[in-house]
Amino acid sequence: MTAVATERPLLQIRDLHIAFTSGKKDVPAVRGVDLTVYPGQTVAIVGESGSGKSTTAHAIIDLLPGTGHITGGSIEFDGVDLTSLSARKKRAYRGDRIGLVPQDPMSNLNPLYRVGTQIKEVLEVNDVARGKAADRRVVELLEEAGLGDAESRARQYPHEYSGGMRQRALIAAGLAARPQLLIADEPTSALDVTVQKQILDHLDGLTDELGVAVLLITHDLGLAAERADHLVVMYKGQVVESGPALQILQDPQHPYSQRLINSAPSLRSRRLMARERAEVRAEAAETALEHAEEVIGHGEGPESAGSPSSADAASADEFGGQVSAPVIRTTDLTKVFKLPGKGLAKRDFTAVDAVSFELARGTTTAIVGESGSGKSTVARMVLGLLEPTSGTVEFDGVDITTIRSRAQQLAFRRRVQPVFQNPYASLDPMYSIYRSIEEPLRLHGVGTGKERERKIRDLLDKVSLPAAVMSRYPNELSGGQRQRVAIARALALDPEVVVLDEAVSALDVLVQAQILKLLNDLQAELGLSYLFITHDLAVVRQIADQVLVMQQGRVVEQAGSLEVFDSPREEYTKRLLAAIPGRSVELAS
Amino acid sequence: MWRYIAKRLLQTVPVVLGSTLLIYAMVFLQPGDPIVALFGEKPISDAARAQLTAQYNLDQPFLIQWLLFLKGALVGDFGISYSGQPVSDLIGRALPITFQLAVMALIFEAILGVVAGFYAGLRRGRIFDSTMLVVSLVVIAVPIFVLGFMMQLIFGIQLQWVPPTVGSNTSFTNMILPALVLGLVSFAYVLRLTRTSVIENLTADHVRTARAHGVPDGMVNRRHVLRNSMIPVVTFLGADLGALMAGAVVTEGIFNINGIGNLAYQAILRGENPTVVSVVTVMVIIYVVTSLAVDLLYAALDPRIRYA
Amino acid sequence: MPETMPLAGQTHFVAPSSETPLQATGMVDTSAPPEGQWKEAWKVLRRNWMFWVSAVLLLIILVVVCFPGLFTSVDPRASSLSRSLEGPQAGHPFGFDKQGYDVYSRVVYGARASVVVGLLTTVIVTVIGLFSGAVAGFFGRWVDAVIARIADIFFAIPLLLAAIVGLSALNNVWPNRGYWGGVLAVVFALAAFGWPQVTRIARGAVLEIKGLEFVDASRAIGASKWRNLFSHIIPNSLAPVIVTATVSLGVYIVAEATLSFLGIGLPPSIVSWGNDIAAAQSQVRSGDNLHVLFAPAGALAVTVLSFMLLGDAVRDALDPKARK
Repeated sequence: MTAVATERPLLQIRDLHIAFTSGKKDVPAVRGVDLTVYPGQTVAIVGESGSGKSTTAHAIIDLLPGTGHITGGSIEFDGVDLTSLSARKKRAYRGDRIGLVPQDPMSNLNPLYRVGTQIKEVLEVNDVARGKAADRRVVELLEEAGLGDAESRARQYPHEYSGGMRQRALIAAGLAARPQLLIADEPTSALDVTVQKQILDHLDGLTDELGVAVLLITHDLGLAAERADHLVVMYKGQVVESGPALQILQDPQHPYSQRLINSAPSLRSRRLMARERAEVRAEAAETALEHAEEVIGHGEGPESAGSPSSADAASADEFGGQVSAPVIRTTDLTKVFKLPGKGLAKRDFTAVDAVSFELARGTTTAIVGESGSGKSTVARMVLGLLEPTSGTVEFDGVDITTIRSRAQQLAFRRRVQPVFQNPYASLDPMYSIYRSIEEPLRLHGVGTGKERERKIRDLLDKVSLPAAVMSRYPNELSGGQRQRVAIARALALDPEVVVLDEAVSALDVLVQAQILKLLNDLQAELGLSYLFITHDLAVVRQIADQVLVMQQGRVVEQAGSLEVFDSPREEYTKRLLAAIPGRSVELAS
Repeated sequence: MWRYIAKRLLQTVPVVLGSTLLIYAMVFLQPGDPIVALFGEKPISDAARAQLTAQYNLDQPFLIQWLLFLKGALVGDFGISYSGQPVSDLIGRALPITFQLAVMALIFEAILGVVAGFYAGLRRGRIFDSTMLVVSLVVIAVPIFVLGFMMQLIFGIQLQWVPPTVGSNTSFTNMILPALVLGLVSFAYVLRLTRTSVIENLTADHVRTARAHGVPDGMVNRRHVLRNSMIPVVTFLGADLGALMAGAVVTEGIFNINGIGNLAYQAILRGENPTVVSVVTVMVIIYVVTSLAVDLLYAALDPRIRYA
Repeated sequence: MPETMPLAGQTHFVAPSSETPLQATGMVDTSAPPEGQWKEAWKVLRRNWMFWVSAVLLLIILVVVCFPGLFTSVDPRASSLSRSLEGPQAGHPFGFDKQGYDVYSRVVYGARASVVVGLLTTVIVTVIGLFSGAVAGFFGRWVDAVIARIADIFFAIPLLLAAIVGLSALNNVWPNRGYWGGVLAVVFALAAFGWPQVTRIARGAVLEIKGLEFVDASRAIGASKWRNLFSHIIPNSLAPVIVTATVSLGVYIVAEATLSFLGIGLPPSIVSWGNDIAAAQSQVRSGDNLHVLFAPAGALAVTVLSFMLLGDAVRDALDPKARK
């Protein structure tokens, strides 16, 4: 991967400016970017959404979306300034000189053509091969990209492929005409971590073997650090820092790079969080205990405060705040969905298979798994949004599936609240922030109008949002802000348990770090218990006490957080851990 | 696949039953004596009355009348019209004419609509696009009978390129103008649908990726943009065949074509109830069959759709 | 990764912090007034010329509908046979038709029947369609199947044929129904067979909204199904329904004219564009006296066009894809 110092740069971008036209104004998106890639080298552009990293990459192949256009600077490829060429001549560079592996494997293959046909098209338009020869080459390329049984795979349609397979097909297409430079635009961000690792390893091997230079676009610093020789950190359309990957990671100079590295969960050293977690847990346990006593003292809910929990709470007190009474306990929780099968029969699909776990008061239990592991289905059953096929969910000793009366149901709802993944869908766009947070209060008949307003101000303050957002609508807030509002709403009824279903997964790293900190603080302050659903093991380390690793509906490993990270027992857990990007990169302390 | 077809056919049973019952009720469930309604206040002999009553099962309760009608319809026997001809003969004569007209209209709207919509979509916001949008709006806004009438006036009467009315000679050339008129409104919809679809597909990820792979623009537009845009358009066209046949009432009236629309219209005006329910039943069956065909067509066009 | 000497252009570069100031993540821009989805759509709408053209035209049409007397003092039913088919002249800008009616006056007075049919039909169709579609999409399973089949029954009969049959049936049960009776009959006939289209659109929109997380969030606070449907799902599904309603308003106006043209819509005693266009046909067979046809047809086309333009403009404003 190391280039010879005397070589001419393959790609040299100088002072590149890109703007989008909005109305009659030019809104700059990229401002003065410099970037150099040498033959055979891997260079990564790292940045959050909106940093201009993808825009820069698209400018190289003259495929800026919408009204985007280059307003200044030069893009020199192999000694030729691409910006000075005609559209036709620019096109000649695409495919056989500069290849692209796009971001989302789901949308980047034409659903109407066979995969083989689409790769053959690349071969034919770039004059690599035609007819029968092209067909043979397609099979070779698919094999090269790591797809087994390539001959029959070539005849399949994209929807018959899994996400990982599609991305392999896109890699095959991107490299089909043997370009000198491959632009890999977040090539694996839509994939599960274990698949991500396989694909990146494969891509690394291939580009190395073929001597192809790679321009890797990513939001994941860990991934960039592991895969690239040279890093370019972008922030708001500008390059804030660039240099050798290791040097930047170990000794970031620009405040933004520092912030990014400090927030990246995969890079963050364990010790830091472990201490904080212990403190948080101790505090939370204390608050939770007080809270529990209060509940019992007031006798709220006839069944909710049964004797076992009060006995446990009492015994817990003796152990110095080590509350052991689980607030949620599931036993052999199972969900079977009926899917249409062959003929008239329905096929059973077991999404969740006999999952048992406990969530202790004031602590966090994380459920980790890849897509299809059943983790979100567990969350929905715990929330009482989905009826289990068999097994029980006990909340404070009461099986929630036996709750029938409206009053009891409302009482249960008050005590368990969710925060969902997608910040763009978790708030009703028609409701102002005030109305969104007020809805649970109003529904449960809490307080007068004045009291509710005070409560909402208080909640917004808790999630560090100014009271001014009350009159705003979700579309005016950023993803992180919306997620804060969603948390505020979840806290409105003073719940004991919050189910966080991928609540930070859609956020940029910096925002993610902020929200995680907020969740930690709230737990300490309010004694909340969290059920934290995520696909991201790196995040788990920062927040969880207990970890459940799920695979295909089953719990494969269940242990304390430190244990899982330090001495995983199961092969699958080990694979998950090994797949976290950036784990191998040593950080200076 | 067969399971799906069977399921769909099963679903059409209540639809056909419901629609015919509905139309039967509207036509036959009227206050007063249906025979008086037919012959007006003219005196009618008892013998003739008895014969008519038996022929149309007027002595039976309404629901039985309907079931008897369905029983006949099942074997293609729609009864005898008040004028004495078998209704199935009337429909048998009129249906092919309307079918020819509708197919010609369909071909016309498909070719012109897709081509114009495709280029308008590719050149969004340019002169051609704006012109096409205005044209499509005007075509939708001006009632078809006004447009048809104007075209008849210009091409049939003033320029005399085609005969102003068709009558019994339903040759291809005679039917061109009526087919154009009939397809005009759908042409506007096809144009707009194609245009929207093309614009949407132009920004699709896979289209950008094809460009990034070095595929020339023309080829990208044909193979990826146009092909993918065709799915909603083709399904619209499939469903439109039935709509065109039903909408032919007006066109057939203007150009004096003895098609199914005219048959239904005349029958309604004259109170020829058996003919009315029969024609509508045929129309419902055409609708049901075409919408099943469209679903299957959809699956054929889009490999992602597999009916199990 | 071996340490090597950085290559030209790849030396460690750090941008001066003064030129790349960091912004606090999670700032709230409080400079602009708060804007919900509708207000934002209004902002987009406001900048669209199509919207203004159609809005102004529709406003004028609405005034004509409500107060035709403001625009003409000539009685549309006052026949002066001596002036039959006379061309445009002072005081009678569109001339006279065969019966010697003043065409301009008839165009002004004819607006009411056409526009009222369009408006009323659209309102009825939208209410039925929105509700049935929302319930079908929201509850799914057998409710969906039943509503889908019922909608299919009405949809399977072609609208025009169904309306013709329906109206001829109404003629028998409800003869001599006067002005408003005549208008309502056409409205009922069109609405009875027009609602399934809205049902389909509303159902689709609800299915999309139903899967969003805020609906689950609302369930998780204990909101009942009906509350969820009415306070979250239906309001969020309105956009495509409104667009369809605006466009179909024009379509129903055309449908009324077509029915009247076929002689089965509004009775001839009611002054309406459709009736006048139908009557004009026989008067311009040879290409003369075009004013008799063009005046009502033009008025109708402008009205329908205005609703279509408005529908297009509203669609552009409400479509989230167009806004992003």
